[in-house]
Amino acid sequence: MNYKTFKRLYFQILLVFIATSCTKPVDFEQAKDFEITPVIESSLIFFDEPANQFLDNGSEIRVVQDFVLVSFFDDEFIVDNLIKAEFLFEVENSIHRNFELQIDLFDDSNQLQHTFTVSAQASSEGDFIETFEGTKLQALKSTTAIVFTLRMLPGVPINQDTLGNIQLQSSAVFYFKIGDTQ
Amino acid sequence: MKRKISTLVILVFWGVALSQNKQILYGFSEIPQSLLLNPGGKIKNKGYFGIPLLSHVHFDAGITGTTLYNIFADNNTDFNTKLRHAVYGMNSNDLISFNQQLEIFSAGFAFGKRYEKNEYLSFGLYEELDIINYFPKDYAVLALEGNRNNINRVFDASDINTSAEVISVFHVGYNKKVNDRFTYGVRGKIYSSIINVNSTKNKGRFVTVRGNDNIYDHIFDLDLELRTSGIASFINDENSEFSNDIKALRKRVLFGGNLGLGFDVGFTYHMTDQWTFDASLLDIGFISHTKDIENYAVQGKYTFEGINPIFTESGSGQTADEYWSEIEEDFEDLFTVDTTTTKFTTWRPVKLNASLNYAFGKKLEEDCNCVQNDEGYLNAVGLQLFGINRPKLPQLALTAYYYRRLFKGLRIKGTYTIDSYSFNNVGLGISAHIGRVNFYFMADNFLDYKNIYNADGVSLQLGFNYIFNKNED
Repeated sequence: MNYKTFKRLYFQILLVFIATSCTKPVDFEQAKDFEITPVIESSLIFFDEPANQFLDNGSEIRVVQDFVLVSFFDDEFIVDNLIKAEFLFEVENSIHRNFELQIDLFDDSNQLQHTFTVSAQASSEGDFIETFEGTKLQALKSTTAIVFTLRMLPGVPINQDTLGNIQLQSSAVFYFKIGDTQ
Repeated sequence: MKRKISTLVILVFWGVALSQNKQILYGFSEIPQSLLLNPGGKIKNKGYFGIPLLSHVHFDAGITGTTLYNIFADNNTDFNTKLRHAVYGMNSNDLISFNQQLEIFSAGFAFGKRYEKNEYLSFGLYEELDIINYFPKDYAVLALEGNRNNINRVFDASDINTSAEVISVFHVGYNKKVNDRFTYGVRGKIYSSIINVNSTKNKGRFVTVRGNDNIYDHIFDLDLELRTSGIASFINDENSEFSNDIKALRKRVLFGGNLGLGFDVGFTYHMTDQWTFDASLLDIGFISHTKDIENYAVQGKYTFEGINPIFTESGSGQTADEYWSEIEEDFEDLFTVDTTTTKFTTWRPVKLNASLNYAFGKKLEEDCNCVQNDEGYLNAVGLQLFGINRPKLPQLALTAYYYRRLFKGLRIKGTYTIDSYSFNNVGLGISAHIGRVNFYFMADNFLDYKNIYNADGVSLQLGFNYIFNKNED
């Protein structure tokens, strides 16, 4: 027996091995259909203030306003994969005055993209949902600044002894569709 | 880029794994490479050398929890349905492994007193690739579902557990037949790690719970680390010449990589003429990674509860945006990847082999036209135990075998193995001696070859040796 014979034997065995191993149909191309749809929920904004927080040297503060710059909603991943969003607000107002929280979304060039208002009736509790779909979702995806305006609406004046709190908690729900096929 | 994401996800989900059990080769003493599984094994030749690059070729791939066929079957079920089904059917101890070995050269010879050469020296160099990847179940569920339906569920950051390495091993073994009953052996090894990537000691968690100030508290507690050696110089180098990289790699094969030391021990004990017990411990050793290191770590704790944009901490004079920027920075700090070059040590996966064997069926006189070169029994049956230390849990395998000498120069061994991959692993090996040339071929999981994609694991070994038989003087 020489090496040549061996080589032949080796390849014959290898051939038998390959020939007897077979496969049922598989389709690795299916990977392109890959798609996942996670739903992420995150806390958003909150506050909890007593009535006397709205007094400054005895006079009422009717409007409190501030803003944040966010580089989150116009992120490429969000723009590509976010298909729906909801902002959920839970309000508890035990002060005898109506409040409203106005939320304005601005884009890069300071253009107002969308605005909505969460109301809190005097001495009541309530939920509010703002849903972002279609053009509203597009507005959200171009948002880079958010202005919050809390207004205490006209009513019985408050003083240092006015009871109650205005409390707001909120979360955002992000619906994603992540995959190769958009 | 999109395509890359899905490929990456699928790779992460199904990284590749191995068992490294060579249950057919173990104890197959006609094949010189069986000495690598038990340095104290029986030796049936007075010398040999392996045909360079062809003396031992080994592949082993395994998967637990699912199979490629379950996910990629060409049927009417939606791919994502199959994917989900696979993800929910697996747990974080399921794994994919791949192991490959190639012997570059090997040889051995008997020595000792002229009339009774009862000592044996063997040596060689082989290359080994080893990948093991556990299924990161919690990350997969988080990616599939998100946290919304998983409030209070703790996502375990330690579910990421993966390691991959390419090493070369130079070894010298000594075997001594003390008497007719007892043989022992040791093998010293010098490892040269060519490439190592591992992330096996991750800790931490992510959980969303009901909060006080706001609806939820999101608690991040992360301590993740990926360590690499042998890769940074290739990623960071300027040269685009592939041949330069090949040259650098070749150097590392010959002691140019990160070096380590280890040893194997083993013995064979003949309780009676027919009963034998043997055992070995392999790869008790370490590799010290000191060169070409780049480690990546993510560490930190942070609880996010949203922001209070209107009434920032009273009296601090901080605007809402300053306050938000601070939170953004905290998040950035949390997820910032720290790159270090801290040296590290990896331990080789220790392997245990043991077997109890019973030989029977004496050769009839007329049957024996060959030289009387071993105990004279034609058959053997036995039980073998294999264990390997893996990053999460040791893996065990139990094998029953039947061995038969068919006629001069042809031996076969059939095995039935139970392990974490499957309960129906049938293997078969043959060893042929034609003149001085020995050829062996062995494979397992034969029952799965009717649909290889549905296999839980496959392993294959083959090789050519040139053997100087005993009784030739």
